[in-house]
Amino acid sequence: MTKEKKNKRMISSTNGLTRREFLKGSAGVMGTVGLIGTGGIPFIFPKKALAQAGTIRIGMSCALTGPHTHTGLSVKRGAEVACDFLNSKGGVLGKKLEMVVLDDAGLPPNGVANVRRLATREKCVAMLGGYHSTVGLAMRAPIHELGFPYISPYCANTTIIENGYKPNFMFRVSAKDKWIAQFLVDFAINGMGKKNLAVICENTGWGEGGKNDLISAMNKIGIKPASIEQFNWGDKDMTPQLMRLRDQKADCLVGYYLDPEGAQMVKSMAKINYRPQILSAWGISGNFAELAGNDLAEGAMVSMTYTWCGKLDPLGQRITDYIIKKYSLKNDCREFRTGSGTANAYDAINILALAIQAAGTVEVPECWSKIRDALEKKVTHYEGLITTYAPAFMENEERHDAILPENYLMTVWHDGFLIPITQAPQWKTVAPDYQEKYLKTHHRAREIMKRT
Amino acid sequence: MTEVIQYLLSGIAMGSIYSLVALGFCIMWATSETVNFAQGDSVMLGAILGVTFCVDMGWPIWLGMAVIIILCSLFGIGLERVAIRPFRGISDIGWMLSTIAIGIIIRNIAMVTFGRYDRPFPTALVKQPIYIGGAGVYPQEILIPIIALGLMVGIEVFHKKTKFGSALRAVAYNRDAAGLMGINVNLMISFSYALATSMAGIAGFIVAPVILASAYMGLLVGLKGFAVAIIGGITSPRGTILAGFAYGVLEKFVAGYFSTAAREITAFFLVILILLVSPQGIFGGKNRGA
Repeated sequence: MTKEKKNKRMISSTNGLTRREFLKGSAGVMGTVGLIGTGGIPFIFPKKALAQAGTIRIGMSCALTGPHTHTGLSVKRGAEVACDFLNSKGGVLGKKLEMVVLDDAGLPPNGVANVRRLATREKCVAMLGGYHSTVGLAMRAPIHELGFPYISPYCANTTIIENGYKPNFMFRVSAKDKWIAQFLVDFAINGMGKKNLAVICENTGWGEGGKNDLISAMNKIGIKPASIEQFNWGDKDMTPQLMRLRDQKADCLVGYYLDPEGAQMVKSMAKINYRPQILSAWGISGNFAELAGNDLAEGAMVSMTYTWCGKLDPLGQRITDYIIKKYSLKNDCREFRTGSGTANAYDAINILALAIQAAGTVEVPECWSKIRDALEKKVTHYEGLITTYAPAFMENEERHDAILPENYLMTVWHDGFLIPITQAPQWKTVAPDYQEKYLKTHHRAREIMKRT
Repeated sequence: MTEVIQYLLSGIAMGSIYSLVALGFCIMWATSETVNFAQGDSVMLGAILGVTFCVDMGWPIWLGMAVIIILCSLFGIGLERVAIRPFRGISDIGWMLSTIAIGIIIRNIAMVTFGRYDRPFPTALVKQPIYIGGAGVYPQEILIPIIALGLMVGIEVFHKKTKFGSALRAVAYNRDAAGLMGINVNLMISFSYALATSMAGIAGFIVAPVILASAYMGLLVGLKGFAVAIIGGITSPRGTILAGFAYGVLEKFVAGYFSTAAREITAFFLVILILLVSPQGIFGGKNRGA
């Protein structure tokens, strides 16, 4: 380049950027901003990019950001504690367990992407899911395309697990929407002696499904609901629906809905002086009593798999103390929001560990189908936190659910805490023969009752 | 009959909240021919600040209310300065988008600081319902329309009987002429924004005990308040107040006699219908102002 041309270039540069430089610069800036803004950094610098030599990697996809962060934290903690406890006893097949947890923010496309990443890039031997049934449903296709074992520690939609695939790679240690409905109806009719059940649900996918499950459960025992009512997320006033239910003389409302709407519902009940028994799926296991006030929340019964409030069994107490210490929580059982997830995840990891042991190999991807078979056939006995699993799973798709309805825990809101019904004054209102039947399948409740 | 009373009573309570929000829109539009699309989020501010001051920090109600009025006024003034004034008269899209953006920003700040969950605001007036003609209503729900009407009457008196109010009316009538008469137009517009925002804040404060406080509660309230302002006629304060009450009551009747799903559909369908028949709103007159 001649001296003249060089000078010209320098001058034009000091006058401003050339168009090419500007475009390159903008692309760079926008790319960086886009990367940071979309949280792409974690994809480029993942925390555990390189497999630590000699660990067994278990994946998890759950909501760690977004409006339901507490659900993701709940299952993540349960899984991590289970791994810590197992590792302190030497791990599985001589190797330590390692959780690889990815965020899906409760969104199906993220969940699908996470499945592929956990299986192929992170080289996990299996994975756990999260709270959102929509995500679980979306995962069915990639899970079976890859042949990658999956256990749900929370999302309860029936068709996630009863999915028609053969071989079925999806399992669940949690409740099943279909069985929750059966449990609630059975408890209402046989436990509480209610005569006139009505159904009230939120009109979302989950609520709609729950409504249908409740109606089927009632039809199965030959009764019809007095009425079927619905409300929207964000509704503040349910007096229209409740006035209709009151006119139908419904003495018990069974339903699927969440804390805020549940709270507004009981407030609306107070307004019209109508206090039927409430029996709900686990949607009102968060801050229901805080929102409604202890008085209005009192006596609402909730189907759970586990609760961290009330008197705990020794293992539950040990896990509580460990979690409070490890995650620096307040010593208040209400910190365990959506606490069923923690217990479910704890048992799920232990069951998975037994399956890995039985499969005898952790070489990815050959181990996947062996672990799947082991889950289905070889976890014959495990004394877990929630119940005793004997066996955990069976071959038919309905029994890819480990926890049976007779092991579901009935809890009740009492004095602002969600405690097992066996520890609450409301236990006296349960029919004696139902009490006997219930205690037969809840040995922990028996133990705690004996101790106190 | 009990049902009718029930829907009327709850409808009037919610309707007065819409009226307060809509009246804010009117006041802002009158002086500046702009509005704050984050008006609904100002309701949210009143609600969550109410919980923060009176529940978390244990302040007495009057103190909480007073501080909220001050904070919301400051917010209104700041918003007008940053999101409205640069675009006023130059780009309508500018202030529309800016105020929407500010709404999104404060909503997200609220989610991060206040949390994503609904929180209760227990006051003595939502402890026990009282019964009128067989219908149950919380005393707070009766207090809300009383306070709302009191505010509206107060504002009308202020406009008609005080010098400052006259200056505001002058700016609303003809901004340029008022400026020529020596009225500080920018000050009047700032004041109207402060007034509108603090009214929304008060609305949030008094309705939160009934409907719970949350970071995203302002969205629908703001939208409905705007719809009410449009139906009533954004140039007619009395029209919007009436429209607000009517809208609140209509919502309850539709939810009661049809379904809650039909509630939003019916209400907004009616908005479109009314605008088709009467674009300036039911009570709105010709647009004066600039």
